[in-house]
Amino acid sequence: MSSFWTSCLSQFEQELPPQQFNTWIRPLRLEGEEDCARGLRLLAPNGFILKWVKERYLARIEELGSEYFSVPVSVTLTLGERAAAPLNMTSGSPGKAPPVTGATVTSGTAVKNASLVDQQRSSYEKTRLIPTFTFDNLVVGKANDLARAASRQVAISPGEATYNPLFIYGGAGLGKTHLVHAIGNQILEHDPDKVVRYVHAEDYYSDVVRAYQQKSFDVFKRYYRSLDVLLLDDVQFFNNKNRTQEEFFYVFNALSESKKQIVISCDTYPKNISGLEDRLITRFDWGLTVQIEPPETEMRVAILKKKAEVEGVALDDEVAFYVAKHLRSNVRELEGALKKVLAYSAFHGRQISLDLAKEALKDLIGSVNRQITVENIQKTVADYFKIKVADLFSKKRTRVIVRPRQIAMWLAKNLTSQSYPSIGDAFGGRDHTTVLHAVRTIDDLRTKDNELNHNVHVLLQVLKG
Amino acid sequence: MRQLILDLLPEAPPSLDNFVAGSNAEALTGLAAWLAPTNRESLFLLWGEAGAGKSHLLQASQCAYSDARRDPDLSTVEPQNDCHAVDHVEALDAAGQIALFNLINRLRASGGRLLAAASAPPRRLALREDLRTRLGSGLVYRLLPLSDAEKLAALGEQARARGLVLPPEAFSYLFLRAPRDMRSLAALLTAIDRYSLEQKRPITLPLLREVLQTSLDI
Repeated sequence: MSSFWTSCLSQFEQELPPQQFNTWIRPLRLEGEEDCARGLRLLAPNGFILKWVKERYLARIEELGSEYFSVPVSVTLTLGERAAAPLNMTSGSPGKAPPVTGATVTSGTAVKNASLVDQQRSSYEKTRLIPTFTFDNLVVGKANDLARAASRQVAISPGEATYNPLFIYGGAGLGKTHLVHAIGNQILEHDPDKVVRYVHAEDYYSDVVRAYQQKSFDVFKRYYRSLDVLLLDDVQFFNNKNRTQEEFFYVFNALSESKKQIVISCDTYPKNISGLEDRLITRFDWGLTVQIEPPETEMRVAILKKKAEVEGVALDDEVAFYVAKHLRSNVRELEGALKKVLAYSAFHGRQISLDLAKEALKDLIGSVNRQITVENIQKTVADYFKIKVADLFSKKRTRVIVRPRQIAMWLAKNLTSQSYPSIGDAFGGRDHTTVLHAVRTIDDLRTKDNELNHNVHVLLQVLKG
Repeated sequence: MRQLILDLLPEAPPSLDNFVAGSNAEALTGLAAWLAPTNRESLFLLWGEAGAGKSHLLQASQCAYSDARRDPDLSTVEPQNDCHAVDHVEALDAAGQIALFNLINRLRASGGRLLAAASAPPRRLALREDLRTRLGSGLVYRLLPLSDAEKLAALGEQARARGLVLPPEAFSYLFLRAPRDMRSLAALLTAIDRYSLEQKRPITLPLLREVLQTSLDI
């Protein structure tokens, strides 16, 4: 890489937050440095980056160029192939190694090892398990203590009658799928020869449909009955799918008779599943049924800290509590909120703090995200001035009504994208010139009438959150 | 008699190049980083009011595009793609919600990606809880509409790209009388272009008035 570009990169790295640097500057490549008098050429991998760099960074690059070469330098931006400076990326999952590209295998042993790895990888892939879902990275609290203990027990001695089937139920985003995968992963860790299969109820249904279309029920049955461990996720998706339920009934019987482990997850307890045959529901109750409850605040905090730790970030208690306090019902959205905080911090190049978390999440939590509509404005204004919404549409021309109406029109013009005619329509079919007049009047009065200006200010705050 | 015109008007397909960033630097940087091959996050959701540019970005992303308003049960989705863009997720019907739920699970398992757009943040979407929470588990960004000045600049740019010569007061005229979201304004510009060609008249305020009267449904 050229020396000017190296120094330019390091300069930008200091000036910009990492996310912006990595997204916009790092993918660029410089050409033409040998003859800088004729101008430098920067190659951008796509038009999007090209345009962005042109608008925001080109002047700075030229400035740095002029400083470096001590003569004025012009830089042109063109489209070109990606620079060969990929980001350091760590594969998120140990079992799911990235595909091997550009093979550089030379020795026979290496070939053998590679094929062994391939073989292991492909047999693991057949399980459909997600390697990152393990017991180690599951945060435990009162809410999932029992479910976790039962799952661990099943993972240690699969097929035991007291725990067969293990039926895990709980609301959306509480970690049912995590537990189910963790069981599978641990069983395989103890005994890699066990035939484990994770299947989502919808995919099981697709398998049944395929077997039906291809008249291959024998293969289907043989396959599912050959398993040592069947992990069936979201069984509520079986509702009213009679043929699927029937097939599963037989598989269930065959597996449990031969003491093979079945784990089922569901969004509700067995008796409450709608559209499911009674004979299946009774069978689900044969083993152990455990519930996962929504996590309490302490547990949500622990989850956030653990997830941040995985991302290599230390999260203050204060910040974790703030996020946990506002996202109560499920873990998934908690995770989304954390990602947003991390991305926001990376974008602005600022340390994570309580203030930063509040800024990052202001669109996600709180009332800010309420979208502003004319209807909404009318209600707010009517409430504020203690008049009826209908008064705003009416022909009444008393001052008590007229001012609020004008303010509401002014707010509609300034806070929504509606045109004058459509605002007029929304206020009882008034002409657009009336709206125009209202907007001008309020604009004018705001500079003269302190009380009115204050009212408008308060209403703006209320509406914008 | 109406003059028919040859269909030679330039239509700029949505691309990241012709997107006006406005005050969305954060969301766009997030999106560009997400679209880069090094990204590990499987889900990206953009939300915001109509006309903010969500559909534009989804179509420009080069992911397989589906619009739940036209295809509420997502029957046209081809699961083999590894990057999907699903627009207007709030418009999904019951079957479509299950289809998207399955798609997300499949993409997660296979390392694929989903770019979704919604009218509201995941917390306020009236969708199945299991789908809603999944949509909220990825990166969620709000897309803000352009300010009036930015819209003027963007519209001027589009007019220039079409080779249109508009009188200087035309933009403020349009801003006062037409819906001011970019989608409507861009559609209006196309309508003005067509009308002026059909009528063989230069673009003047009277012509704009006629276009506005005839295209009330934009």
